Amino acid sequence: MTLREAMSGVRWYLREVAGETAYDRYVEHARREHPGEPVMSRRDFERWRQDDRNANPRARCC
Amino acid sequence: MQRSRARSIAIWTVVAIVGAVAWAVVALVRGEQISAAWLIFAALASYAIAYRFYARFIVRRVLEVDDKRATPAERLDNGIDYQPTDRRVLFGHHFAAIAGAGPLVGPVLAAQMGYLPGTIWIIVGVIFAGAVQDMVILFFSMRRDGKSLGQMARDEIGPVGGVAALLAVFSIMIILLAVLALVVVNALAESPWGTFSLAMTIPIALFMGFYLRVIRPGRVLETTAIGVTLLLLAIIAGGFVQDSGLADAFTLSPEAIAFCLIAYGFVASVLPVWMLLAPRDYLSTFMKIGVIALLAVGIIVTLPVMQNEAVTKFASSGEGPVFAGALFPFVFITIACGALSGFHSLIASGTTPKMIEKESQVRIIGYGAMLTESFVAVMAIIAASIIEPGLYYAMNTPAGVLGDSVQSASQAVNGLGFQITPGELSAAAAAVDEETLVARTGGAPTLAIGMSEIFAGATAESLKAFWYHFAIMFEALFILTTVDAGTRVGRFMLQDTLGNVYKPFARVSWKPGLWLTSALVVGAWGYFLYAGVTNPLGGINQLFPLFGIANQLLAAVALTVATTLLIKAGKLKWAWVTGIPLAWDAAVTLTASYQKVFSDVPTLGFFAQRDRFQEALDNGEVLAPAQSLDDMQAVVTNSTVDGILAALFAVLIIVVIADAARVWVKAIRAREPLPTTETPPEESHLVAPSGLFPTAEERAMLAGANGGAARFGRDGARQPERTGR
Repeated sequence: MTLREAMSGVRWYLREVAGETAYDRYVEHARREHPGEPVMSRRDFERWRQDDRNANPRARCC
Repeated sequence: MQRSRARSIAIWTVVAIVGAVAWAVVALVRGEQISAAWLIFAALASYAIAYRFYARFIVRRVLEVDDKRATPAERLDNGIDYQPTDRRVLFGHHFAAIAGAGPLVGPVLAAQMGYLPGTIWIIVGVIFAGAVQDMVILFFSMRRDGKSLGQMARDEIGPVGGVAALLAVFSIMIILLAVLALVVVNALAESPWGTFSLAMTIPIALFMGFYLRVIRPGRVLETTAIGVTLLLLAIIAGGFVQDSGLADAFTLSPEAIAFCLIAYGFVASVLPVWMLLAPRDYLSTFMKIGVIALLAVGIIVTLPVMQNEAVTKFASSGEGPVFAGALFPFVFITIACGALSGFHSLIASGTTPKMIEKESQVRIIGYGAMLTESFVAVMAIIAASIIEPGLYYAMNTPAGVLGDSVQSASQAVNGLGFQITPGELSAAAAAVDEETLVARTGGAPTLAIGMSEIFAGATAESLKAFWYHFAIMFEALFILTTVDAGTRVGRFMLQDTLGNVYKPFARVSWKPGLWLTSALVVGAWGYFLYAGVTNPLGGINQLFPLFGIANQLLAAVALTVATTLLIKAGKLKWAWVTGIPLAWDAAVTLTASYQKVFSDVPTLGFFAQRDRFQEALDNGEVLAPAQSLDDMQAVVTNSTVDGILAALFAVLIIVVIADAARVWVKAIRAREPLPTTETPPEESHLVAPSGLFPTAEERAMLAGANGGAARFGRDGARQPERTGR
């Protein structure tokens, strides 16, 4: 594996873990499952996703 | 094929030999100090063998995972909570959710028994109990569309078991939050450097929240990088604040810090998630992973030598100053996270089962993540054991025993049978720029001293004070994140329960309900926190065993649910896989509760302690370490409350197990397996590797499934593709 591949692997992993790719996934999902319906903008989607956590809290262990 | 088989046998033989030699050195060498490397080797070799053989056996024979069966993530994929997620990414999420301050604090306290008992329990416990629990609960929840532990207890055992499980979850939450907050108080009290740095995390988090909400929505990595930079600056700035006129403003008494935390907990629970909780969570997650990796590198680079004894006299006498009681059962109570932690079953039946791609991946995610946490616990016990024992006891013995000067502390430590001069104590504090290290209980400061020694050894001696406060900061940071998140979860449970009585409560956004339930939850843990801070006998000494008992009680509930499910499915012959850890856990927890309730040794039994102080109080006497009649009254009240809680926990365990035993008998008597509560199987169209690295076979399947055209991920082999659509 070259250094370049390793770096792109790290970047891919960090973006996935941090949830930065959630929007891309959402757009893909929305286009595939609900074609023709409007798709949220990134700003709206991220807001909606954050506010969803207000309603569904996640426990953190000790 | 023949060759790779021979190679595999050769590799595992070598691993087994390395493990056996390392264990022999760790367990048998006496009177000579050993290198921490042996503990690392023993741990890693044991984990490798357990993961390869035992976890695989459970997955294949006991659970009978079936990769032809679609997981809830595949079937119910809604792009939000149900969503097939790469196993390595999900491992990261799951690990970040299960690991926190627990595996760092418990082993530090348990080091009072020596490093050997704790290390054996951390490694053997995780292999046969902790990791099994996490994986099995993850599997059962996954087969039921991600049902929570509480729901499974209700469905599989019955309403009584269900209510008992709910009570267990709520009470552990309260005690956990109180004890963790107490750890923060002890780490920050009278320390302007630490207090300033931690206080700065609030504006930093608010800024990150605003940035992420308004300026750059969704750019988490960039925001976190800014946050971490600001955080490091805050730690450096803390050193200057300590030497400036601002120092007094940040020098707070334990009581003051406790009230700040209580107020903070309430505000954080009421504010929307995006302002404080979400950015804090990113910050603490990345710090956590970073520091754990750093610690591993530090230990491997410096290979420190253990100063602690393998087994101390306190293991058998039960008269240790950090916490009372003998090795059995108290080592197994004190070290919960890292060996067996009931709390994990809440995570394993929360978001993780809804995101798993393939059934066989429960092994890497459930079992693997817990092995990693166990390794963190091993590093913590190393960090606590490379410190001079004299310093360890001067830091971890309650203030009431040590007195308030280095002279009195030195004397008290000599009385325990360890040596440290007043001069050495002052020097140790000066080396990390702290006023004093005497009676800095709770584990965090001790771990920070150990870590600062390791990190300073790997970098420069002059950076010791920076590394100490770095370590304090990172522990306090993720404890506060747990406090935020835990208060919120507790509040939700309360809103949900009260909603059954008065409908509007169930509406999460109903303001009066929100405020009231937040106040109740914060009030509950705040009560125990304040009682712990002001307890003359030492809050950690009194409360930590309760926290351990509560956590192991929850583990008993989880293991009971798992055993019940195995028996109901007609797998009685495999029920020992969760049944033996359950029997052990019940024995440990019930013995500990019994001793805490009925022991007539006042330091050990809460009620014996209560009687002793009540009697003196009636005669108008003041018993050390209490200094006034008010102190005496506080001891009496605390002992009573704590004793009642210990008794309540024991009763809960007995109720859950007895209620489950009824179901077991019914299931065993039935000719056929009882009707299953699993979601009916559907065929899977997803292709994904089950382990960390895809096998040759899996590689071929991946190539065939998607022809190299991935929608996401770096390449075809890294992201599964839907073939059926």
